Amino acid sequence: MSSVSTKELIHSYVQLPGVLCENFIELRSQAKENLDNCAFPTKKDEEWRFTDLKSITSNKFETVETSVAQADLELDEYHLAEAMNSRLVFIDGNFSPTHSAIEGMPDGVIVGNINDFPDHELLRSHLGTITNYEDDVFVSLNDVNFQDGTFIYVPKETVIEQPIHILNVFTNRNNPHFVTPRVLFVGEMYSKATIIEEHIGLSDNVYLNVPVNEFRLYNGAHVHHARIQRDSKNASHISRPVAMLDAYAEYHSYTICLGSKLFRNEPRVIQNAEEVDFTVDGLVLIDGEQIADTHSIMDHRFSHGNSHQLHKVVVNDQAHSIFNGKIFVAKDAQKIDSFQENRNLLISDTGKVNTKPQLEIFADDVRCSHGATIGQLQDEEVFYLQSRGLTEQKSRELLVYAFALESVESMAVKSVEELLLKEVIAYTNRD
Amino acid sequence: MLEIKNLHAVVEGEELEILKGVNLTVDKGEIHAIMGPNGSGKSTLSKVVSGHPEYEVTEGTILFEGEDITEMDADERAHLGLFLAFQYPVEVPGITNKTLLREAYNTIARANEREELDPLEFEDYLISKLEIIEMKDEFLNRSINTGFSGGEKKKNEIFQMAVLNPRLSFLDETDSGLDIDALKVVSDGVNKIASPENAIVMITHYQRLLNYIKPDFVHVMMNGKIVKSGNISLAEELEANGYDKMQKELA
Repeated sequence: MSSVSTKELIHSYVQLPGVLCENFIELRSQAKENLDNCAFPTKKDEEWRFTDLKSITSNKFETVETSVAQADLELDEYHLAEAMNSRLVFIDGNFSPTHSAIEGMPDGVIVGNINDFPDHELLRSHLGTITNYEDDVFVSLNDVNFQDGTFIYVPKETVIEQPIHILNVFTNRNNPHFVTPRVLFVGEMYSKATIIEEHIGLSDNVYLNVPVNEFRLYNGAHVHHARIQRDSKNASHISRPVAMLDAYAEYHSYTICLGSKLFRNEPRVIQNAEEVDFTVDGLVLIDGEQIADTHSIMDHRFSHGNSHQLHKVVVNDQAHSIFNGKIFVAKDAQKIDSFQENRNLLISDTGKVNTKPQLEIFADDVRCSHGATIGQLQDEEVFYLQSRGLTEQKSRELLVYAFALESVESMAVKSVEELLLKEVIAYTNRD
Repeated sequence: MLEIKNLHAVVEGEELEILKGVNLTVDKGEIHAIMGPNGSGKSTLSKVVSGHPEYEVTEGTILFEGEDITEMDADERAHLGLFLAFQYPVEVPGITNKTLLREAYNTIARANEREELDPLEFEDYLISKLEIIEMKDEFLNRSINTGFSGGEKKKNEIFQMAVLNPRLSFLDETDSGLDIDALKVVSDGVNKIASPENAIVMITHYQRLLNYIKPDFVHVMMNGKIVKSGNISLAEELEANGYDKMQKELA
């Protein structure tokens, strides 16, 4: 599975800047050790059958120097109206205090840069403990390299009303660069928060974006988590977002994939106690030669859990969507109610979809179902709208929008809905 | 208003003719009924006139207000004032009646250099049309035909007709599948919309609908052609004797 060249390649990514490596040294040295023993996956690996990592292995990516955040960069157009005082901005991975704005948070709340809290007990006790990707090369690369990142702590019974906007922007650097965004979220008992995590490429340059998110929800904590991926069309984005839920916790995530040449998202939700509720929804709109691959795991380890996944995909041109949704139910995890659906809309003759629902159930009193469909726009639907006076273009646009909209209705944040509407119109309106 | 001359049509890419030389003239203020057995081509005629891309006209012309619309796209025909009430209205999950109608109304208004309505004005306008089909406000915010009963779907077609205020409407089997109460509501709605300024062509298999909407002209269509035209007594004759007898007489 490994070869010398890939090993060298992996090591070329590991460039510890020295000064800051004192923080989280244990996590980093473990990860470094792992990197000594692993390689980038290839299509021979079952989990990567359909997804070629050529765009990563054929480029040499450089890590970006710290403290070069561009203070004069104009980012107003990416602000969300609901999050004007609850925004963290990272430019090419570096925290930018001038672009960020955190005001009026309830007592005890922490919303800030990981690197500003190197000795914080919660960081020490949580960081790297929630990810469960075993010896995953990408998690290790993030562990070794991340410097700045998001740290959010919501104390017991505290509600943060405004959504927190984590804005990762990628500028047009000359050389292919490599960025490792990191998020640690800790929600104490019966706390509530909404997180909007966004990745935006300001240009069409080549970069590798490897975010790792860890969300720890204690008893009764509620989190809405929207992830919007608008990376450069030449970027590669490999995500590991994981959430671990205690009793009565609710975690509702929604991932929108619009950008990047290669997108590999591996959301995982771990049920760590009885009585949890979670959602792992997704919307993928791709065209050109984009590849968007979602490998998700809904991991029920205890009884009484509800989970729901609606993964919707629109494919144009030669784009390729891959979906593998796993539902795990452990031996004694009874009374699980889990539903998974993958719906694909192909709007070109050359697009491609691979879909594989996968249920692994070891308990006997559960209700788990799944479904996958692949379809095209129906001529009769287009004609119906056209006969009412809408142009063919507008009719198709509305139908694609309607297909996409169903999954976004759960998004509680209005400007995110509006953003999505604009993106869908742009997607359907391109020449 | 509408002049169909020697219209021949096939399903796109196939050779079998479905329309084999249809002639029909409709003037404003008139209500026509086209009757005929299954497979006679009457539904095809309504689709060809409204511009369904599945059909190809191989001969003949369709003139609307003197303009040749034979090759026009369906939306351009709608802009001129043509409307088709579908036999099987299409379900479109995720788009509300209101969204579709506002987009349609304003697109048609723009094409005709009339003023568009803003969302609030349009809402008032829509609500004013609801009573025509005896529906409640919630109807506007439901996804188009999604989960509607058969009767609700047909009412929705007539509601769309009322809102878009077309000059010429084809009603394709609007009566089929309606119980007597729904049939009354639908035909009352059509009668309220009918005016000296517009025209209506009803396509139907049965005479039943004509008890509620009185046509000025009745045409019988068989084997891709209009074979006989007359007034309401023609429909009564058909109801009494059936299509077979007429077919034999004409043969």
